[in-house]
Parts: sequence; structure tokens; C-alpha cells
Amino acid sequence: MEYFLNQLINGLCQGSIYALMAIGYSVVVGVVGMVTFTHGEVIMIGAFASFYVFNALGNNLLLGVVASFAASWIIGMIIYKVCYEHFFSAPRHISLICTIGISILIKNLAQIVFGPNQMPMLNVVKNNVYKLGPVQISTVQILVIVIVVVLAGILSLVFNKTKWGIALRAVSQDKTAAYMMGINVKRTAMIGNCIGCGLGGVAGMLLSIYYQTLSATMGGSYGMKAFSSSVLGGLTDIRFSAIGGLCIGLIENLGITISSASFRDVFAFGFLILVLIIRPQGFASKKGARP
Amino acid sequence: MAEDMLRIENLSVNYGYITALTDINMEVKNGEIITLIGGNGAGKTTTMMSISNLVEKTSGKISFKGQDITHMAPDKIVKMGLAHVPEGRKIFPSLTVYENLQVGTLGNPKLTKGEINDLITRSYDLFPRLKERTTQGGGSLSGGEQQMLAIARGLMMDPDLIMLDEPSLGLAPIIVEEIFELIMKIRDMGKTVLLIEQNASMALSIADRGYVLETGNITLTGKGKDLLVDPEVKRAYLGA
Repeated sequence: MEYFLNQLINGLCQGSIYALMAIGYSVVVGVVGMVTFTHGEVIMIGAFASFYVFNALGNNLLLGVVASFAASWIIGMIIYKVCYEHFFSAPRHISLICTIGISILIKNLAQIVFGPNQMPMLNVVKNNVYKLGPVQISTVQILVIVIVVVLAGILSLVFNKTKWGIALRAVSQDKTAAYMMGINVKRTAMIGNCIGCGLGGVAGMLLSIYYQTLSATMGGSYGMKAFSSSVLGGLTDIRFSAIGGLCIGLIENLGITISSASFRDVFAFGFLILVLIIRPQGFASKKGARP
Repeated sequence: MAEDMLRIENLSVNYGYITALTDINMEVKNGEIITLIGGNGAGKTTTMMSISNLVEKTSGKISFKGQDITHMAPDKIVKMGLAHVPEGRKIFPSLTVYENLQVGTLGNPKLTKGEINDLITRSYDLFPRLKERTTQGGGSLSGGEQQMLAIARGLMMDPDLIMLDEPSLGLAPIIVEEIFELIMKIRDMGKTVLLIEQNASMALSIADRGYVLETGNITLTGKGKDLLVDPEVKRAYLGA
């Protein structure tokens, strides 16, 4: 029972990182309107950016968040310029294939620049373990959850309360109509894409701190996790994508309580398949559009 | 104050091998209601889309308030004070009515908070029904309400010229009348209106001038009242 409860906490923590990746993913897909396969690489870039910042400037977590966000923002700009900007009116598979190409390119460049081996992440925070009755929770876990909640809160404020957010949501729903409203669609889509990538980058930093390791090829499986969490939430719905991420994290960690840790991904993707069989549209239901 | 608001010179548009517009010339003067009538596929919507630079032009020149907007980015054209209320409404389905109205104000960065609030109050005065539904999702409105929202959204940017593409499409006759009354009201606010309509008799009866489009050519032009009794127009569009 203790083991189970602790796995619940682990799952919650990991799930919140997945939620952050999935939020970033669904912002990208929602605003740009096309599926992306570069999110894993964006996550990896975020992790490395924070790694080098911690190395150079000491263990300042806030600085790490800013660095990973900024680095992924820049990568997001490049991705946008290469994969999306010219293809808005082209068939969707063109930009899709383009994102796959860019993802392979970034991954291999990263292996050249950062080296192909796994690297240990620095001990950024002093890790104390707190006991609450039978449950244990560590400083890192608390920090992870706090950062994710704060970022998600800021994002939802920006999206719902500011002019920028309304413009972003307008662009995600109808680009032609957004043009007619005087919105600079290309720039708005780029900023949306970059915000999504930035959140992915911060998630990458959190992952590398949480697991104490990072490598140039870490993006692959995390990109898939972000994609599946987002699919669970209906791809473009930010809140449900976050719930999807939490669910996958929880299922993974609860699943390995009854089996071995190497079955982690089996539970994650098995759960995805199961949900999609029962509810192909994901958790979200499209809000009230009349036929 | 009879200066040109909008001037279109020798505009031609092709869709692939299909010619949609050939050598269109039009002018819209300050404070006028101009209507563009014509059958299906005559090129009415294409004309509007090319004014907003949402389709590629083959040749021609368009100027708005004396400035060349032929190759200007669509969002910049809107920011100059030209609102386009598209055919088929194109409201944002998962934004609320209030948010849809707010999107309208993005086209005019000069508006202050107070002015925006005034504009929203004015929209609710014009369309009391929108006020009842202010927190409802745009997609849950009925067709007529969506059309009202689309027009209200176009007016939110306080434009100098508003282009309405078939505002009466698919609406009940009583609502159509309301919408035409509204168009007169919009003119009384000091705005210029360019109107596309299938309902030629109603459009011509409120218009100062009209242009008749036929397969990409302007075949007739004149005062609204004159066109209304023109035998050619009567035969083709009014069914007399």
C-alpha cells in the first residue's frame, strides 16, 4: 500500500511534466493547425539549454527556466519558418513530413554538438525527502509540480484575459476570418508556435532534473508521450491535453507497481489505444458548433 | 466630401485557367451605399476578396483613401479602416459572443479601452439579442444571430468602409428587413458601405449606386433607383 501511494505521487509528478509537454504540443497544433513531430527535439533543446546555463552560471532554477524557454523559442522560430510559413495553403502532409525531416536534422546535429552519450544532470536543488505519514515527497517533485502549475496558470491567463490570447485563439479557429479582423496571422501563428515550444523546453528541463540525466536522443520517446497526451485531450484542447498528460503519467507509474519498470511504455501507450477505441475524439467534446 | 473612398482600376483575377474577373472598374465615394449585384459565379465575392487581398490578382490596381493597397498585407488593409464581413459569417465558434466582438477591435489598434466599451455598448444597442447571449459560444448561435454577430464584429473596429458579403444569406424575410434597416443606420453613422446581395430589389432600393456583374464583367452601372427600373436588370434579376 505504501508503495502504491508513493507511486501515485511519482505518477502525479511525472504526469504534470507530461501535462506541460502536452500543453505545449496542443498550443502548437491548435495555433498552427498542423501536427508537428519536432516536439521531442524541442524538449531536448530545452534540457540542454538549462544544462549549460546551470554549468556556466550556477544552480539558479529560475535562470534555467528562462534559458530553456528562450532556447526552445528560438528553435520554434526556425521550425516555423522552415516547416509552416510557406505551407499554410499547401496539403497538410507537406509540413508534416517537413517537421519529421527537421526533427531528424536537429537530433543528429545535437549528437554532433552535445555528444552522443547520456550525461548526468547537475544537482540543481538540494533534494530533501519529506514524509507525510506513509507518503514520501521530495523537494524536486514539489518544485516540478509548482513550476508546471504556475506556467499553466500564466498560460491560461494569457489565453483568456489578454488581447494576445484572443488573437491566438481566433487564429487557431479560422485563419481567413482572422485576416479579415486585421490580425497579422503569420506573426501570431509564429508566436503561438514559439510559446508551445517554449513550454516544451521547460518540460525538457524538468525531465532532466527529475531523472538526473539528459541525452541528445531523449526527445524521441518524450515527443511521442507529448503527442499521445495531446491526442487523449483531443489534440487542440489545452485543458484536456493537460489531463491527458496527467493520466498517462499516473497510468505509467501505477502500472509498474503491478509489474516491472520496463513495462512503463506498454502501459502508457496501451492506455492510449484503449481510450481511443472507446472514445476516438479524446476526452474533449467540441464546444457547441451547430452543424 | 465626395472624394473617392475606394477605387478599383482594371482589376482582373484568374483562378487557374478560369477567368473570374476581367477589367473591373469601380469607385466608391465617401458616405455612399454601393451595391454589387449579379448571379451566382458572377465574381461578386471575388471582387471583395481581392479588395482585401485574400486572392491573387492577375492585374489591376486598388486604392483605398488614396493609398495603393493592391499588394498590401490583408491585416494592414483592415488596419487602414476597411472591414470585411465575409460570406458565410465566419465567426469564431468557440469564442464567446463577447470575445468575438473583442476580436473585431484588434483591427484598429488606435482604440482605447473606453472606446472599446462604448463600441460594445453600441453593438448591444443595435443587436439586443447579442446582449442576451454575451457569454454563449459563437457556434451555438442561430444563423441569423451569427449574421448579426458578424456585422457587429465588423463594426467593432470602427471602420471607414464596411464591405458586407451577402448579409441576408439564408435569413428569414423579417430579419432580412432588419438587416437592411441596419445598413441604413450604418450609413447614418458616417460610414461607407459596399454591399453584395442576391436580393437585388432590396439592395438597389437602399443603394446610392449599383454595379451589375455578369461573368466577371461589369455590364451595367447607375443610380440604385434607375437600375431598379432598368428593363435589363428587371429581366435578369428581378424576375419581372
